[in-house]
Amino acid sequence: MKTRDLVLIALFAAIIVALGAVPPITLGFIPVPITAQSLGVMLAGVVLGAKRGVLAVALVILLVAIGLPVLSGGRGGLGVFAGPTVGFLLGWLPAAYVTGRIAEGFAGYTFAATKQTLGFIAAAAIGGVLVLYLFGIGYLAFGAGLGLEKAFYGSMAFIPGDLIKAVVAGLAGRAVMVGYPILHRSA
Amino acid sequence: MRSLYHDGRTVMHRLPAGAKLAGLMVVAVLLFLTRSIPLLAFAMLATGTIYLGLGQPLRVAIRPLVPILATILAVVGLHLLFNGVEEASVTGLRLTALMLLAASVTATTSISDFIAVISQAAMPLERLGLLKAADIGLAVGLVVRFVPEIITRYDAIREAHRARGLTPKAGTVIAPLIIATLKDADSIAAAIDARGIRGQ
Repeated sequence: MKTRDLVLIALFAAIIVALGAVPPITLGFIPVPITAQSLGVMLAGVVLGAKRGVLAVALVILLVAIGLPVLSGGRGGLGVFAGPTVGFLLGWLPAAYVTGRIAEGFAGYTFAATKQTLGFIAAAAIGGVLVLYLFGIGYLAFGAGLGLEKAFYGSMAFIPGDLIKAVVAGLAGRAVMVGYPILHRSA
Repeated sequence: MRSLYHDGRTVMHRLPAGAKLAGLMVVAVLLFLTRSIPLLAFAMLATGTIYLGLGQPLRVAIRPLVPILATILAVVGLHLLFNGVEEASVTGLRLTALMLLAASVTATTSISDFIAVISQAAMPLERLGLLKAADIGLAVGLVVRFVPEIITRYDAIREAHRARGLTPKAGTVIAPLIIATLKDADSIAAAIDARGIRGQ
């Protein structure tokens, strides 16, 4: 791995950590403030691509495991992995990968602005919402023994907020692609 | 950024980090294999005794567990509503016991011990040419070094919005934050290579 890629991965992990530490931000069109950390996971895929995005997220999870309070609300330590919602944390890995994989297909200068933005939004929604909830709900249902139906209904309340985050991630991904492109077709 | 490690001289502190992590994994598997309520209750009492016996002030010990306990209690509540007392007890005791033991490992293992164990565990991968084990410690160090800087930059972007009479919104703050942060990558990478830190 080139040193530049290592640094990009570490800097993006730092962005994800920082997004968990700053006060919740408003989105503008809805009044409810959101915590931005899961937005950071979608952004990792959209900005860095599949491989580097996954590694950035893995680095954050590693920091949690070695006892640094890097998750939103100052959560951290191995105890986090005993919680019933740990699927939503470990699910970050496939979420960033899938987001990155799809986003890589829309990288480059040949795409029209609208098409690229919509592609990035779809990437963030499929990876950062669909795949993430698959893992999160999966562990709630079988790891915590809640059963599929209840785990699903218990998580539904968060889906609208996360879909909005996917839109923000897509827009921001497009802005970064214009300002400082680092997403390649096959990174 | 302060880690959740708490200095001390207990047996848990003196055990090697690798042994603690291996033990934690074994206990986790065992906890998920049994459904016996007395056994799980005993496990919770035992892990609770270990955790509270680490010499941490009570407030320091309880604080990191509160958010995790909240999610466990939420699941226990749902179990009580829909699946009955037995299912609720099994899940609640199992997850609480696991959380207490995991928190005990975190509180008694320093960051450098963790990184030493992880780098060692990554050596087989290095031999396969998949990664460099020393990069893990370097990457962790980089993150810890740059988080405060990124938070400062985030605040600066918000201030710049306000100075221009704009309300800071996610859509207009995130993109400049990412671009400004990642633009540093080249000079940081050059600095690392110039010092020969990665030995290439």
